[in-house]
Order: sequence, then C-alpha cells, then structure tokens
Amino acid sequence: MPLIELKHLTKTFKGKTQTVDALRDINLQIEQGDIYGIIGMSGAGKSTLVRCINFLERPTSGSVVIDGKDLAALSPKELRQLRQQVAMIFQHFNLLQQRDVRGNIAFAMEIAGMKRADIDRRIDELLEIVGLTDRQHNYPSQLSGGQQQRVAIARALSTNPKIILCDEATSALDPTTTTSILNLLREINRKLGITIVIITHEMSVVESICTHVAIIDDGQLAESGTVESVFSQPKTKAAKKLIFRKSGADSGILGERLIRIVFEGNASSEPIIADLVMECRVSVNIMYADTRDVGGKAFGQMVLQLPEDRLQQEKIIFYLQSRKLRVEEVDGNAH
Amino acid sequence: MPIEKMIPLMLGGVKDTLYMTTVSTLFAYLLGFPLAILLVLTSSGGLAPRPLLYRVLDAVVNIFRSIPFLILMILVIPLTRLIAGKAYGSTATIVPLVIAAAPYVARMIESSLLEVDPGVIEAAQSMGASIPTIIFKVLIPEAKTSLIVGATISSGTILGYSAMSGAIGGGGLGQIAISYGYNRYQSDVLIVTVILLIILMQIIQLVGMYISRKTDKRIRE
Repeated sequence: MPLIELKHLTKTFKGKTQTVDALRDINLQIEQGDIYGIIGMSGAGKSTLVRCINFLERPTSGSVVIDGKDLAALSPKELRQLRQQVAMIFQHFNLLQQRDVRGNIAFAMEIAGMKRADIDRRIDELLEIVGLTDRQHNYPSQLSGGQQQRVAIARALSTNPKIILCDEATSALDPTTTTSILNLLREINRKLGITIVIITHEMSVVESICTHVAIIDDGQLAESGTVESVFSQPKTKAAKKLIFRKSGADSGILGERLIRIVFEGNASSEPIIADLVMECRVSVNIMYADTRDVGGKAFGQMVLQLPEDRLQQEKIIFYLQSRKLRVEEVDGNAH
Repeated sequence: MPIEKMIPLMLGGVKDTLYMTTVSTLFAYLLGFPLAILLVLTSSGGLAPRPLLYRVLDAVVNIFRSIPFLILMILVIPLTRLIAGKAYGSTATIVPLVIAAAPYVARMIESSLLEVDPGVIEAAQSMGASIPTIIFKVLIPEAKTSLIVGATISSGTILGYSAMSGAIGGGGLGQIAISYGYNRYQSDVLIVTVILLIILMQIIQLVGMYISRKTDKRIRE
C-alpha cells in the first residue's frame, strides 16, 4: 500500500470573475521511503498540489489517502493529529520571528502536547542532527537562510513525522547552501526512513536527491516514474521542455573546446552526429541539444564538447561545415 | 492663580486624567481585543471565515468610529447614568471613553494581527495547530511589537479624549483647562494644563516605544 495516494485530485479556485482549474485529475502514488520530486514551471499547480497532501487546501474533488486514511473523512481534530505526521518546510522558512532557535523547534512539539522536559531533550538531539547547537539561542533574524531552513527542518523532524513535504525549500538559497540542505534531507531519508516530497522548479534538485519524479504541467500530471526512466526517456512535451531547459540553462557547460552547431532546416533524416563520429573517427560529447523536427527539417542547436587533439577539432569543424551547418565557438560556461 | 493653589489643583487634575486614561484603556482593550480577534478570524481570508458575521462586526466598528467623541458622550448619557450612577466626573466619563475607544482599539489590534506573516500561520496549521493555539502562540506573540506600538497610540488617543470630555462634565486636566482657562480667562492655568498634557503624552510615547523596542527580537545586531 502506498504511503500517500492521490486519486482523481482536482482543485478549482473560484474567483469573482473567473474560475481557475489549479489541478485536474491528478493520480499519484508515493511509497514509504521515496524521495519524490514534483516539478513544474511556476504556476503549474505544484504548490496547490502539496497543500492538498496535508489538506491545507481542500481538494474540490478526488481523494487524498495517507497511510490508509482518507483525509476527507477525518474530523478536524483527527486531521490536526495527522498533520503532526506530515511535516512541512517552506521556501521562506516561516519561523516564528519572536522565538529563538530552541523556541522554534519546540513549537511543533508544544502543539503535539509533549512535556517540557521531553521537549528540551528532543531539542538537544535535533540541534545535533541539523548542526546548530552553537546557534540555539539566536533569533531567526540573526541566522542565514540556510541556518533558518535547518531550524525549520529540525522543527519538522521534532514530532517524528512519517512524511516531510518540502515546498520550494531550496529556492531562496544559494547553490552551496542548497547542496547542504539537500544532503541533510537525503541523510534524514536514509537514516530515519522518512518519506520526502519535494516541490521544486529546479531540475538540479530532482536530479541530485530524488528517487521518483512527477511532472506537473498546467494543473495536470504530465508524467511520473523513477527519475532515471523519466529523465532518460521523457515522453511528454512538458517533460522534454523541463529536462532540456535544465541542461542548457542551469548547469554551466564546462570542458575543453565547445562548439555550437546550428540546424537551420537541414533534412532531419540525416544522422549528422553519427556520421561525424564514424567518418572522422572521433568522439564528441553532446553537452546540450535542443532540436526539433518541423516538417522533415531540423531546427535548433546542439553544443558539442570536442576532443583534446587540435587536429581532430579542426577535422570535426570542417566536416560539420561541409554538411552545411553553421558552427560557432562557445565560451566556457555560456552558450 | 497663585502657585500654592495651582499645585494641588494640577496634581488632582493629573491624577484624574491618569485614572480615566488607564481605566478606560484597560476596559477598551478588554472589549477591543476579543472584537479584533473575531474580525481577524471571520474575515474572508481568516482562519474561520464567516462573511456575514464579519460584515456585521465591521459595520458596528465603523459606526462607532464615525461618531465624534463629544457627540457620543452626549448620546450615551443615559447609559452612563445607568452604569456610573451619574453623568459627570471622572468615573462617569470612563463609560463613553470605553465606548469610543473600544472600536478604535479593535482596529489597531486588527491591523497588528494582520501584519503577521501568513506563511508562519500556514506553518502552524501544517503542524496541526488549532485556532486557539494559533491565536495565542502565533498571532499575539508575533504581533507583540506592533501591539505595543498600537497600545501606545491608543492610550495617547484616549488621553486626548479624556481631556476633551472636560467640555461636558468630565474630570481631570481637560475640565480644569476649560473651567479655569476658558470660562474664567485664567490663561496661566490653561497653559499649565496644556504643558502637563504634553508631558503626559510624551511619557506614554517614550515608555511605549521603549518597551516595544526592548521586546522585539527581529532587529538585534
């Protein structure tokens, strides 16, 4: 039985002048121990989706089943108790500004009705886990973004939840801090077996820690599965758009000499790269490719990483030009 | 007026003014605080939206806020008699002062509570917090600084109202200013009362701001 199951989930927001279908017929199963990425462009409905999982937003129709419990059938009190099992961390951390680190971590446990002595003992353990023992008496305004998110993670862990929902938890952080927060989440998943659901618009987040991924596009589930299967063979347009955008925009293309070849209407049936490799007997690395087939003609571009040998490089460029392709040099990290 | 008469007169005035101001502020908060919390909870974006109740409360607050204080004082004279036994003097003035100040205080508190980051409220909900928990552990503590600033402004306003009440039978410095300074042309008395009112206002303001700064954890370092 999956730990989280979304069945035909639909959410419609009714405004005064218009209604917006934020989510349409989402079906998703998340197993115990997964790190499940939910990715989509902004406005795709992923924040609404994650809020439906803990019923901060009530779905218009469809059901959310967590650990065998249908959330719609729970009383308000039972729902509040269930939420202690489904912790959440946020893009902007959402810490109490008037409480120090200890006080913030204590908050979730106070809600859960734990005893003061137990709370204090648990805070010490959690400070250890997130590495903030030396900051325990600081207030949020005295902490960096990464430290604040660590406090939020400690707060989320405090009640021993089964699930942690992360709503763009690293989007306000710089790359180094993002990596350290993601490592912490992975560690939590491995050591404590907590299922993690990560909402993000960053492909790199999914790539670096997720086991599974769901792609949300315009309120609908475009594709889902293991990260390898979805990323290696994206089937839908939405998935391709996200995956290709990533490799160009996010990861700086580094390496030796890079060239860009531009397809401006060559026959799409020509296997240019395969021919290049066979005829010149060289190996090239495709760093980035964004080509499409329009009526049998290829349009788009590809960035190739060339071999070390100068002679081979010239051979490749000559070959490509002979095939009527435009070839441009690419600087280290732009393209 | 000779100084030996002036000093006891003024001491009595300050005492009455402080009495009216503090007791009225206290009662205005006792009424205004629950009212403000109801307004925040029942509004359309609140934790327990009740559009109809909200509209009624909102209208009541607006109606009382739109009646000028002096006119309100006259309007509620029967009620004042009923509660205080008479319609003049410091204690009696507390009745209209509270009626005028409670809606004002409610608005001040409402705006302070609305300043609390909705994200923090959402975080509390995601942890399974009940509405009372959110009120007492999130809304009020997080708005503390703003609430103290609001209380400072409110008690200053109530101080001003209390002086105004001197025109129609209220006590304290306002009554002294009007009966001596205005009716008997003793401008020295008028000037002294004005100076005392300024000093009182300054003290309220300084103390309020000091406490709000002291208790705020957001602006350290």
